[in-house]
Amino acid sequence: MKTLAVDFLLKESPNAIAIVDTKLNYISYSNQWQEKFSLSKTDNVNNNLFDSIIETPIFFKNAVNYGVEGKEHTNHGQKFILPNGKLQWLKWKIIPSTIERHGFDGAIIFLEDITVEQKEIELLHKAEEVARIGCWELDLLNNTVYWTKTTKDIHEVNHDFVPNLEEGINFYKEGIYRDKISYLVSTAIAEGKPFDTELIIVTAKGNEVWVCAKGEVEMLHGKAIRLVGTFQDIDERKKIEIAHQQISERLKITTQTAQIGTWNYDLISNDLKWDNEMYRIFDVKENQFSGAFEAWSSTVHPDDKHRAILATKEAIDGIKDFDEEFRIVLQNGSIRHIKGLSKTIKGINGKPIKMTGANWDITELRSTEFKLARSTKSFTETFEHSAIGMALVSPDLKWLKVNKSLCQSLGYSEEELLKINSTDITHPDDLLGSHSYKNKVIEGDKVNLQFQKRYFHKNGHIVHAVIGATPVKDINGNLSHVITQFLDITSRIESQNKLETLVEVTKSQNESLTNFAHIVSHNLRSHSTNMTMLTKFLNEEEDEDERKNLNRMITSATESLSETIAHLNDVVQVKTGALENLQSISILNTINQITKSINGLLEEQKATLTIDISKSHFVNAVPAYLESIFLNILTNALKYSSPKRTPSIEIKSRIKKDNILITFTDNGQGIDLNKHGDKIFGMYKTFHKHKDAKGIGLFITKNQIEAMSGIISIESTVDIGTTILIELKQS
Amino acid sequence: MKKVETCCIIDDDPIFVYGTKRIIKEVDFAKSIIVYNNGQDALDGLMKICIANEPLPDVIFLDLNMPILNGWQFLDEFKDCRSPKSKKIVIYIISSSVDPRDLERVKNYKQVDTYILKPITPDDLAKILGATVES
Repeated sequence: MKTLAVDFLLKESPNAIAIVDTKLNYISYSNQWQEKFSLSKTDNVNNNLFDSIIETPIFFKNAVNYGVEGKEHTNHGQKFILPNGKLQWLKWKIIPSTIERHGFDGAIIFLEDITVEQKEIELLHKAEEVARIGCWELDLLNNTVYWTKTTKDIHEVNHDFVPNLEEGINFYKEGIYRDKISYLVSTAIAEGKPFDTELIIVTAKGNEVWVCAKGEVEMLHGKAIRLVGTFQDIDERKKIEIAHQQISERLKITTQTAQIGTWNYDLISNDLKWDNEMYRIFDVKENQFSGAFEAWSSTVHPDDKHRAILATKEAIDGIKDFDEEFRIVLQNGSIRHIKGLSKTIKGINGKPIKMTGANWDITELRSTEFKLARSTKSFTETFEHSAIGMALVSPDLKWLKVNKSLCQSLGYSEEELLKINSTDITHPDDLLGSHSYKNKVIEGDKVNLQFQKRYFHKNGHIVHAVIGATPVKDINGNLSHVITQFLDITSRIESQNKLETLVEVTKSQNESLTNFAHIVSHNLRSHSTNMTMLTKFLNEEEDEDERKNLNRMITSATESLSETIAHLNDVVQVKTGALENLQSISILNTINQITKSINGLLEEQKATLTIDISKSHFVNAVPAYLESIFLNILTNALKYSSPKRTPSIEIKSRIKKDNILITFTDNGQGIDLNKHGDKIFGMYKTFHKHKDAKGIGLFITKNQIEAMSGIISIESTVDIGTTILIELKQS
Repeated sequence: MKKVETCCIIDDDPIFVYGTKRIIKEVDFAKSIIVYNNGQDALDGLMKICIANEPLPDVIFLDLNMPILNGWQFLDEFKDCRSPKSKKIVIYIISSSVDPRDLERVKNYKQVDTYILKPITPDDLAKILGATVES
């Protein structure tokens, strides 16, 4: 049988073929065999097959042995681990041969090493599992569906699951997903159109999973016979993608709402991209914008340009991220304050490749800040330099902040005031009022915005103040503190009091002057009319004795007139300028001096005098007045002594507030004050039948005392005695 | 011309009393004259007359400024102690005061007929006499 042609064909066969005899010696073999399986590169004909063959599994040896014995054996591919540990995939077919059939006894061996292919398939399966990419096939002729293991895994079905088309479709989530896949599959079948889609399936265990399904169509005679494709679990990626999309969307909305412009700058392609918000902020049109960076830098305010460009350069070089505030000049010339932030992204080699950043308009913020600063400054300055006292007071009436004027008015230092409550130095009678005023302020009562109250100055005197208050609320609407204005009206109140006293004094002086004028006119008239009358009588009278009588009366009237004029002179002198001549005088000394001068009178009446006056009692008085007063009172006591009793006079002094009270108590006739009380110190008022009673003494005494800002009063019981009380300013 | 039965002068000024008495005699104004030196004396004296059921004066010349009890006080007290059966006494206030407050105050006393400014003259008395007689 060994013909040259056959031998040639065998030699050049693309497969590895060996022909052996029954003793397993080579009859012939193809070049492929020699190349792949023979260890010897020389001619092996007539040598035993296994002498020069590569290492093969024992199964193969057996198969060959069976083959020469007449048994055909086919192996479609088997994995072998060789004794040396090497992995080998072999595929063979052994066909027995006899003389009768092929012209020789032995066998024809086809052997193929499919290790490399099998490895690839194995890797493919592994890859499929790892990548979660499965495959599927729809045979339209048999109407069968085939899923690979991974495809089944993704559907979470058992490995022995055999799907059909309808079941496969029904795994897709009801609604748009199922509709979509139905449409795509039917279009593919009808039109041969491939598809690539991302949809949700509901697995056998009920989980929703995002998958990517791809399909290709095999056509025969213009008709689809088969659909094959991949099926990939993209759940994780899809979810991230969706989340990313949502975040991006949200970010877009946020930046738009917040009016934040964002930009990206590709440093490699020198491409600067702005979003719409950026164009709005910088007030430029997109088409106006040719040279990106130059356009930006042209809008920057000249004063800020150097700094902004320097910061940009540093950001581009990756030295420092951009974080600057700068001004831009808009086309209409107005100025806008911009805040800019950027982040520089570096490549693997550490070189900056990209920048991304945001800009927003802070003009309003800046102007609000400026206004706030100005307002704060002006408030602080007003507060500090205000001529009226100002304070910030907490809701529990603690001082939080006080100004100089307030400190000055109250006499405390700032530190001292901040340690105490406003109520600590409030006049006790005004505490209730202060609290109700505070409540009115807190309640926002707009009517009673002012309140007059009294404080105690550090040195104890009373400070009168008008308080005005403005409540300040915190961000929650609760009372934070109260701005209090404190108008010190002490001097006003004092001068008002002084004025009132002055008015009172003036009024009484005016009254007494009017009285005085009438008294003067009355007395002068009495005397003058008497004299007129007497003169007239004298002219008519012829009787000598009667003329003498008349002459005597005229003389008496004349004397009375001059006496009256002398009294008037005394009174007028008291009325004018006593306060300027006040001196500090010892009461005791003056009393002693007076008693010495009336010693004769005292002795004559056998009067007893008890003096209980402290040496330390000094008063502010005009010496002559004080002497005159004491003398007048003492002589009155003696003049109107009771004939039933030996006169006894007691003189005492004691301190009464700022004054000294001097009392003269006698046991004389007394006076009916119910009858005469209102006239007791009147001019020319007499109440006793006494030859020397002129009604001028007490009148002058009262005037002298009042001229020295003193007070005189009287207590008396008829036939028991009289007490004269005098108060004069202590010195 | 009919003269007044009894005339009463209440004044602390002896010269005035002298002068008035002299004029009364000159014009023959009254049959008798009673003089008191202050309001209290007058009140006491008149009470005594009243109790003794003797005739009270027809006319009283009353000074205002007097010690102890002045003219006003006298008027207040005298009003209270007059008995219903007593005859009408005409009171004339004779004063040196030109104080308008005094002139105003007189109006409060119905028993006061006229305010006469000192010194009293014969004409004043003649007028009084005329008025008294007419009434």
